[in-house]
Amino acid sequence: MTRNTEAALIIAGSFLAAFGVTLVNFARGGSVDVQTGLTFLVFLIVFGGLQIAVRTWAPRATPLLIAPIVALTAIGFLEVYRLDAARAGLQRWWLLIGAGLAALVLALLSKPSTSVLRRYRNLILVISIALLLLPNLPSDWAFPLKGLEINGSRLWVVFDLGFTQMQFQPAELARLGLVTFVAAYLADHQRALREAHRQVGPLRFPEPRQLIPLLVAWGVSVVILVYQRDLGASLLLFAGFVLLLYAATGATGYLATGGLLALLGGVASFLMFDHVQRRVTAWIAPFENYQDEGFQIAQGIFALGSGSLSGAGPGLGRPDLIPNASTDFIFAAVGEELGYAGSVAVIALFALVVSVGLGIAFRSRDTFRKLLAAGLSFTFGIQVFLIVGGILRIVPLTGITLPFMSYGGSALVGNLILIALLLRISHEEAS
Amino acid sequence: MNGPIRRLAIAMFAFMGALLLAVTWFQVVRADDLKTDPLNPRPALTERGKERGLIVTIDGTVVARSVKDPDSRAFIREYPEGEAFAHAVGYSSFLVGNNGLEAVYTSELRSRRDLTISDIVAVILGQDLRPQNLEITIDSVLQRAAFEALGDNRGAVIALDPRTGAVLVAVSTPSFDPNLLLGDDAAQQWETLLTDQSQPLIDRGTKEIYAPGSSFKTVVTATAIDTGLAGPGTTFDDPDKFDLPGSEASISNFGGRPCNDGVSVSLLEAFVRSCNTIFADLSIQLGAVDIGITAEALGFNSEIDFEWPIPRAVWPTDELVGDDAALAQSGIGERNVRATPLHMAMIAAAVANNGVVTNPYMVQRIFDADGQAVETAEVSELGRAMAPETASVLAQMMERVVTEGTGRQAAVPGVRVAGKTGTATGRGDFSNPWFIGFAPVESPTIALAVFIEGSPSSGESATGGSLAAPIASMLIEIWIASQS
Repeated sequence: MTRNTEAALIIAGSFLAAFGVTLVNFARGGSVDVQTGLTFLVFLIVFGGLQIAVRTWAPRATPLLIAPIVALTAIGFLEVYRLDAARAGLQRWWLLIGAGLAALVLALLSKPSTSVLRRYRNLILVISIALLLLPNLPSDWAFPLKGLEINGSRLWVVFDLGFTQMQFQPAELARLGLVTFVAAYLADHQRALREAHRQVGPLRFPEPRQLIPLLVAWGVSVVILVYQRDLGASLLLFAGFVLLLYAATGATGYLATGGLLALLGGVASFLMFDHVQRRVTAWIAPFENYQDEGFQIAQGIFALGSGSLSGAGPGLGRPDLIPNASTDFIFAAVGEELGYAGSVAVIALFALVVSVGLGIAFRSRDTFRKLLAAGLSFTFGIQVFLIVGGILRIVPLTGITLPFMSYGGSALVGNLILIALLLRISHEEAS
Repeated sequence: MNGPIRRLAIAMFAFMGALLLAVTWFQVVRADDLKTDPLNPRPALTERGKERGLIVTIDGTVVARSVKDPDSRAFIREYPEGEAFAHAVGYSSFLVGNNGLEAVYTSELRSRRDLTISDIVAVILGQDLRPQNLEITIDSVLQRAAFEALGDNRGAVIALDPRTGAVLVAVSTPSFDPNLLLGDDAAQQWETLLTDQSQPLIDRGTKEIYAPGSSFKTVVTATAIDTGLAGPGTTFDDPDKFDLPGSEASISNFGGRPCNDGVSVSLLEAFVRSCNTIFADLSIQLGAVDIGITAEALGFNSEIDFEWPIPRAVWPTDELVGDDAALAQSGIGERNVRATPLHMAMIAAAVANNGVVTNPYMVQRIFDADGQAVETAEVSELGRAMAPETASVLAQMMERVVTEGTGRQAAVPGVRVAGKTGTATGRGDFSNPWFIGFAPVESPTIALAVFIEGSPSSGESATGGSLAAPIASMLIEIWIASQS
């Protein structure tokens, strides 16, 4: 596939988003209006602009990554528009901001290459931890940057300028920073980690002292995330660490210990937090607890079932019956209105993104780039599994977003930067 | 390093595969169950606001329609006739479900337009997505009159065309306004109706069975004539009371007097005066099996083909064989004999129709949005319940009930009316008055059953002759006037 095919697919994806918005308008008795044109234009600017940035600063990057992202963003956008037109308007602004920042990342990395990230890994760690701590700023002080608690989770930061304010979740960016740090750290210590190990039965364990800085790093981030009560992000981060450790060393002991630690953490948080208990109850018996904690999951299941094979059609289902559909349950909304066909397409597109990301990791010769590409792909894939699996009752529901589809600016920005990093790595490896 | 990454990649695809399996489970395997799950609010919400077809009576009165709300562009269901048609027409409510004809014909009445691409395909294939409409056999003038006549009584009126089985009147009181079940406070209104002591939601005409009392003597008399055991002129002993065999109890007539002169009485006189003593005696002479043959030919103990399931009328032959005391009580329509008012109207209609029972029906035509009939009712017969001669003799006897017997208040000037009264024992001190009959005798066009539940007063003023017969008289008068 060439860049020109990619450009054609970007145009097709932008058309898909505009067409979806128009269908929603039709379902409401409206017609083609300014939303159609605006959506088409924004998608074209965002992803066309991203491609121009790639052509300029990472010309040898894989052409397989942007097309599925356009399709996913378009499908998600049409459901966000259908659920809340005002949020869709904001989402367009976030798309523009995210694409701008992704282009900036490509530009900044064009001269020094990604090795600069490895060199400054400790600085990145400090910045990431600072970002994670931001929501714990006081909510009521005079400084324009304030922490904010929503739905019992302290994840938001408000940038309050008096006349206007902007909310974002710094954890979305911190996650990228932490994955980068871990990849860099493991790349630096890879030889030592791999060679100094003990064999315990079938499992291989590294020497404990090799791991002290790493244990500290994930300990701090996990503690903060648990303290901020975002179980999903905490689990995601932890799983990313463990998988990267295993990828770097091939030591199965990491997987075993990690699984055990995750289990312990899960049991501990179940005993400590009643919001975790409610989620487990809702997971096990949503229909028996239909009136309260099970309502959201039950409605999600009903949405999927009602969509059945071909879906109700954009704007013609009732995904608005699901609480927080545009953030937590966008997948169920797609399943209801675009049907099984839509759900399968979405899962397949996510699988495609993950496989392209892992393909980049496979072909990388540089250890750091290999680990970074793998780490980014793993966290991306696990995130999709946790939220979609939560809706499908495979795992308890965690309030994390579905990449590129859920409403939410910080997540969109974070994921676009993630894609920019993958593109840059694939360019460097092809050079 | 690629080894572990490859293994993790396989794990990633296993995860994605798990998602695909789970989504297949919910959207393909269990989709139909989830769509119709009672907890799922979507089906009711999607039907709400959609157009439904008209329900219109045979004389052109609209009893259910969908009106477009100019603001929301949604359709609102309306029942312009309100309480009088509530049980027959039913309702289609997004909160409490469907009932009556609205429930039975819901798939014909609903719009097939889903505002999806499949609509376009369907239109290209020449399908009509617009809702279909019902023309029902009810006569709106008669229906309203019956509803007014029952007034504050609990009860029911069913009128049939004896030639076809078409339902002319189907009223149950007390009733309710189905329009109340359509609004946002429908659940609350529903709760009020459910807890109402007078049970307005119950359809007493077609969905409840009651002891028919002396109106059941028509069945016993038909058996007597059919089997040749007795005719109108056959005489019986005329005791003060009839002692039940093998029991201390006895059966007496209304008022405790003998039927005639205390010596002998003809079957005709006993029928006209509705004497329990004579019919108790006659029932034992006929036997449970022979009465059962007539009763079952009239549709007792079996399902009746109607718009919706109606409870079986009961004549418990097996229980009564060898128990003459019970048989004597059953022969006068008490004890465990039961029938819906609809069924008793069918019996009157069978006598009027030369002994042939027709299946009752309420929907004459289903027609599309262009007025073209999609389906037209076909008259169907349950079968012959008695010989034509028997029906003719019984009709004459029933006419005498109205001209000189217990049913005098059913008389209509200038019209030959036939009938039979009944006053069944109700709960406690209450009685359940009945009148079944038909008119005009020479060529019947209407057969009816009037039933009143739990009439509070006792004595002469609480009998079928005084409470139910006048309602029949009024309805027959209106009907005959409208036919000429």
